[in-house]
Amino acid sequence: MTYIDKPAVPNVVKFDEPLATKRDKLEVILNTGSDIYQGACKKRGSTLKDEYRRVSGTAYMDPRDMARLDVKNWDTAIVKTDWGEVVVFTAHSRDAPHEGQIFICKGPWANTVVSPDTYCCCDPTYKGVDATIEKTDEEPLLMADLMAKVYMKYDKDAEKTINCLTDKKVNVGITKPEE
Amino acid sequence: MAYEEPIRDYDRIVENCTCAFCGCNCDDLTYLIKDEHVVGVRHACRLGASKIMEDMDQRLLVPMIRNEEGNLVETDWDTALDKAAELIAGAVRPVFYGWSETSIETMKQGIKLGESVGAVLDNQATICHGPSLQAVQNSGYPVNTLGEVKNRADMVVYTGSNAMNSHPRHMGRYSAFPRGYFRKRGRFDRTIVTMDPRYTDTAKMSDIWVGFEPNGDYEFYTALRAAIKGKELKQEVISGIPKETVVELAEAMKNTQYGCLFFGLGLTHSLAKQRNIDAGIRLIQDLNKYTKWNLVPMRGHFNVNGFNIFMSFEMGYPYGVDFSRGYPRYMNGETNTIDLLTREEVDVFMVIAADPGAHFPGGANRHLANIPVIQVDIHWGPSTELADIVLPGSFVGVEVAGTSYRMDGVPIYMKKAIDKPETCRDDEWIIKELYDRVQKIKGERIASK
Amino acid sequence: MEYIIKNGTVYDPTNNVAGEKKDIMFKDGKIVDNVSSDAKVIDANDKIVMAAGIDPHSHIAGPKLVVGRLYRPEDSRRGIKSKTDVTRAETGFSIPNCPATGYRYSRMGYGTVIEAAMPPLEAKHTHEEIIATPNIDIGALSLFGNNWFVLEYAKDNNIDDLATFISKWLKLTRGYGVKIVNPGGSEAWGWGMNVHGIDDPVPYFDVSSRDIIHSLAEANEKLGLPHSIHLHPNDLGHPGNYETTVSSMDIVKDVSKNSPVRDQTVHMTHIQYHSYAGTNWRDFESGAEDVAKFINNNDYVTCDVGQITLDETTTMTADAPMEFDLHQLNGLKWANKDIELETAAGIVPFIYSGRNSVHSVQWAIGLEMFLMVENPWQIMLTTDSPNAGPFIRYPRVISWLMSNKRRVEMIENGEVHKAVGRKSIIATLDREYDFNEIATISRAAPARAYGFADKGHLGVGARADIAVYDINPNNIDPSNDYEAIEHAFGNAALTVKDGQILVKDGEVVSTKESQTIWTNVQGLEEQENVLMKKIMPVFDKYYTVKFENYPVFDNYVPNPIQVNVQAGK
Repeated sequence: MTYIDKPAVPNVVKFDEPLATKRDKLEVILNTGSDIYQGACKKRGSTLKDEYRRVSGTAYMDPRDMARLDVKNWDTAIVKTDWGEVVVFTAHSRDAPHEGQIFICKGPWANTVVSPDTYCCCDPTYKGVDATIEKTDEEPLLMADLMAKVYMKYDKDAEKTINCLTDKKVNVGITKPEE
Repeated sequence: MAYEEPIRDYDRIVENCTCAFCGCNCDDLTYLIKDEHVVGVRHACRLGASKIMEDMDQRLLVPMIRNEEGNLVETDWDTALDKAAELIAGAVRPVFYGWSETSIETMKQGIKLGESVGAVLDNQATICHGPSLQAVQNSGYPVNTLGEVKNRADMVVYTGSNAMNSHPRHMGRYSAFPRGYFRKRGRFDRTIVTMDPRYTDTAKMSDIWVGFEPNGDYEFYTALRAAIKGKELKQEVISGIPKETVVELAEAMKNTQYGCLFFGLGLTHSLAKQRNIDAGIRLIQDLNKYTKWNLVPMRGHFNVNGFNIFMSFEMGYPYGVDFSRGYPRYMNGETNTIDLLTREEVDVFMVIAADPGAHFPGGANRHLANIPVIQVDIHWGPSTELADIVLPGSFVGVEVAGTSYRMDGVPIYMKKAIDKPETCRDDEWIIKELYDRVQKIKGERIASK
Repeated sequence: MEYIIKNGTVYDPTNNVAGEKKDIMFKDGKIVDNVSSDAKVIDANDKIVMAAGIDPHSHIAGPKLVVGRLYRPEDSRRGIKSKTDVTRAETGFSIPNCPATGYRYSRMGYGTVIEAAMPPLEAKHTHEEIIATPNIDIGALSLFGNNWFVLEYAKDNNIDDLATFISKWLKLTRGYGVKIVNPGGSEAWGWGMNVHGIDDPVPYFDVSSRDIIHSLAEANEKLGLPHSIHLHPNDLGHPGNYETTVSSMDIVKDVSKNSPVRDQTVHMTHIQYHSYAGTNWRDFESGAEDVAKFINNNDYVTCDVGQITLDETTTMTADAPMEFDLHQLNGLKWANKDIELETAAGIVPFIYSGRNSVHSVQWAIGLEMFLMVENPWQIMLTTDSPNAGPFIRYPRVISWLMSNKRRVEMIENGEVHKAVGRKSIIATLDREYDFNEIATISRAAPARAYGFADKGHLGVGARADIAVYDINPNNIDPSNDYEAIEHAFGNAALTVKDGQILVKDGEVVSTKESQTIWTNVQGLEEQENVLMKKIMPVFDKYYTVKFENYPVFDNYVPNPIQVNVQAGK
C-alpha cells in the first residue's frame, strides 16, 4: 500500500502568458524547506525509492517561470549555484505566484546547491540562495546514485574532486575505517 | 487521494500514544496493532501516520560494516560495537550528532560517552533553531505552553513556518481551531496571520497573509516594531509591504487580548538568521507593554527541544557542547557540527537518530566522505550511504518508551506499544554498550603503558 | 561501616546541645549512640559539628532553571571546573548545571534542599533535573496558587474538594507541599495583568488572593501535610508592599494547625522582598520593622529571608508579572513561561550593586529581618537562590550575621550605598548571631518547618547527615574573623550524607544519587476517584496533554523518600 500519492500539482503551465518570454536560463532565488509529502516519505524511510526522488528532488516553480523556461510538470532542469549543481524535476508550485523564486524540498538534491556558510552562527544558509535554472534532458538521480556521485566516498577510481569551499583536494576513496 | 477502507483487522489497540514526528508531540494517538505491527493510527496526521505505520520500510534490522569493496555487509553486534568503540576511543575530535529523534534516556548515556572521550555533542538545532537559541541568548524568551494559546489566544501569527506541512496538527490541536476556555467558538474567535514570502498552505488557511520579500524578514519586523511604538515609517514600501498595511497590522496586534507568534525556519535559514529572531523577540516584548503576547519556536523533531533542555541542565549550554578540554565549552560558529565539518576538523562522526546525508549542505557532507561515520538509526537513509558502521536502533514512542520534550517544553513520557524487531537494540543500550567498550579499550591502553 | 566523629564541638539546637564537646557516631547511614571498636575515627577536635544544612527555599531544578541556563551562556561560563576522577564538569554561577548544584551544596555542608516551585504540567522535567543533581535530598513544592481548579474551589470555599485535589496532585506530581506564588496574580498575567493587594479580584475567576490563601491553608491543615502552605504573597518587590505582607499573614490566623511535626501554619518565603515601605522607588525604604513585629507576635508564622548578596544573578519566579516589570526597569533580556491552567514564570538577569541605593537598602532590609525577628526558629537562611544571590553565598551571609563589625564596615567603607543609613535602621542593630543560632536558621528550623523528623539534628536515629567545619569556637571571634567564618562555612572539613563521606577539606571526594522527598496522602483514595470524575471533562477539554501522560511516573523518582500522611490525622 502506498500511503502517499505524488504531489498533487495540476499541470497548468500557460504558454500564452503575455509576460512569458522564452529563456534558456533563469536567474532565481532558491528556497529550500520541507513539505508534507517530502516529510512523510522521508520519515517513513522510503528514501531509496522513486517516490523520494519525486517529492524531494523537484523544483517547484511559478507557472510563468515555467513557461519562460519552456518546462512542464515532471520535465527536468538543472539548478546551479556557487556551491554546486543538481538535476531536478520541475513542477508547478502550489504556493504560486512567486515569480523569480524556486522551492526545492530539503533532501540530498537541495543539499548539493545550498550554501554551507553559517556566518559563524551554526546554521547554513538554506534559504534565499542565488541560483540559475536551465532546462535539461538529464534525469534526476535516485538518492543512492546521487550520494555516490556527489560524495564519491566509496568510489576508489573517482577523480579527486575539489571542495569548492576550501579549494582543497578531497581525499576520496581512502575513507574506510582504519583496521 | 483515493478513498481507503477503514482498518478493521487488528488484534488490539493502544491509546494515548505519543507521536514521534514533529515538535507537536501529539499524545492522543491510538495505535491499531496486528501481529506486533502497527497497522493503523488514529488521530495522527499524515506525517505521523506515515512514520508510525510503515515503520518496516527500509528498516535497518542488522548491524552492518562497510567492506573492502565499499558495500555494507551484515555482521554481529559484538563485531560492530567493538569496531565502533575502537574508532571512538581512537578519535581526536569526535562529533556525536543527532539525538533529536531519540529519548532523553539515550542522551544520558550519550553525554557519559561524550564526556569520557572529549567529544562534541550537537543536535539538529544546529541546522534548524540554533539561530533562534542565539537570539534567545541575545534578547530573551517569552514563551507559553500550547494550551495557553488554545484557551486564550485571539490572534495567532505564523511566520517563516508552514505549519500545515511541517506540523500538520498544530493549527487543529493547539492554535487556530480548537475551542478553548476563553475562546469557545474556536477558529471563529481568532485571527490567524501568516507572514511568509511564500503563499503557503498555512497562508491559505489564514485570515491575513503578509508576503514580504525573501530575506526581507528583518526589515519587515523592524518596521513593525517601529509602527507598534507609534513611530512614523519613512518608506512607502517595506520589504514589499505597503506602509499602511504595516501600520494596520501593528494596530491589530496591539488590540488583541492574547496573541502568540509561532516562528519557523523561514527566519533562521535566511540571510539575517538570528537577527530575524532577535527582531521577533523584541517585537513580542514591545507588544507586552500594550497587551499579552508570547512566542513559540516551531521545533521540527519531537525531541529536538529535549536535547537542548537536557544539555542545559546537565552542562549549562543548549547544543554544540565541546568536551575536548575536560570542561564543557560552547561557542557558536565554532563548536557546531556544520562549522566543524566545513573546517574538516572532525575525525570520527557518529550520527544518532538523525540524517545529515539528507539535511546537511553538500559542503559539510563532503567531509563525511573523508572520515569514518557511525550511524545509529532505524531506516536506511541518505546517511547510510555515507556510513561505515550501521547500528540498527529502535523506534522511540512505538517500540521503546522514553521521555521527550514538546516544542513548548512540556515533558511527555512516550510509551511503548509493540516489541522491537528481535535483531534491533534500544538506542540507550547501544550507546551504553559503546561507553562500556570504550572504557575497556581505554583501560587496556593505560594498562599497557 | 561505622564511624565516630570524635571531640567535635557540637551545635544541635533540636536536642539542646549548644557547643558541647561530644562524639557523634553513625552506622549504616544513621546516627547511633554507640559503635564497636572497629569504628573508623574521625578527629574533630577544635572543629564545629552540626547536622547537615537544610535549604528551605531554593530554585535548583525545573523548567525555569533550564530557560535560565539556556539563555544565559554568559552565566554558565562563570564557575567552570573541569571534570575530575570523582566529579563531572561544573558550569555556572547563579544557575549552575545540575552536577555543580549538588557538589556546591555538599561543599557547604548541606544535605537537603527544597526546590521551591514545580509547575505540575512540567513536574517530570523538575524530577529529571533532581535525578541529574547528585549528593542532596530534594523535595519539590508543587504550585497551586493560580491553578484554575484551585481558583474555582477557593471561590466556592469548597475545602473538601480542594483538599482532595491537593492530595491527588501531590501524588501526580510527586510534590512535597503546597506552594503559592502571587495568588491570582500569575493567572491575571495570562491577560498581561496583575492583582494588587489581597482583595483585588482575579480577572474572570472573580476570586481574591485572600480567598485563595485562606482556603489553601485550610485544605493544607485538613490534610495535615508535613509542611504548611508556602506563601510568596502578592506585590513582591513593590514599594509599600509590607502592608500586603502583614495582611497576608493575618489571613490564616484563624486556621488551626493540624500537624504535630511543625509549629507554623504559614511559611512566608523571601520575606525581604515583601518588607518594603514607601510609595515609589524614590521614597522607597525599609518596612521590615512592621513585618518583624508581626512575626514576633504570631508564632504560627515562619519565614525565610531571601538575603541580597550584591551579585550579578538571575531572577526567576512564578510571579511572572513582577518579572516583566523588572525587565521594564532594568532592560535586560526577559524570558517568560506561561503554563496552561496552572501558573506562569518569568526570568530576568539582574545585577545587584552596592553602588545602587535601592539594592543597598534591599540588602539592609534582609539583614534587618534576620536581626529583628527574635526567635531564630521562625526565620531561616536563604537567598531565594538565585533571585537575591546564588546559594554559594550562604557562608558570606552567615559572616554578616555573626559580625556587626563587618556590617558597619560595609556601610562606612561605602561598600553599600549611603542611603542605607537613611532608609533603614540596620546600622543601629548590633545583634550578632552565635553558632547555635546559625545552626538553627540553617538546619534545625528548616527541618522543623518541613516536618523532617530525621533531618536537621544529630539525635540517635536521625539520618547521618553531618557537617564539620574547621572553626574552633573557643578561640575565634566571628565579629573580627568574618573572613575565616565565610571560608569555613563555604568549605566544609567534612560532609556526610546518609553515612557516606562526600566532602573532605572542601573537596568532593565521593558522590551519591540524590533522593526525592515527596508526600503521599493516604486515606482519601475514594474521594480522589470521585473528584477525578468531575475533573476529567475539564481536563480533557482544556489541557493539551492527555491525563494518562500527565502524571510523574515511578521511573522519574528512582530514589524516593516517601512521606506517608494519614489525611486529617
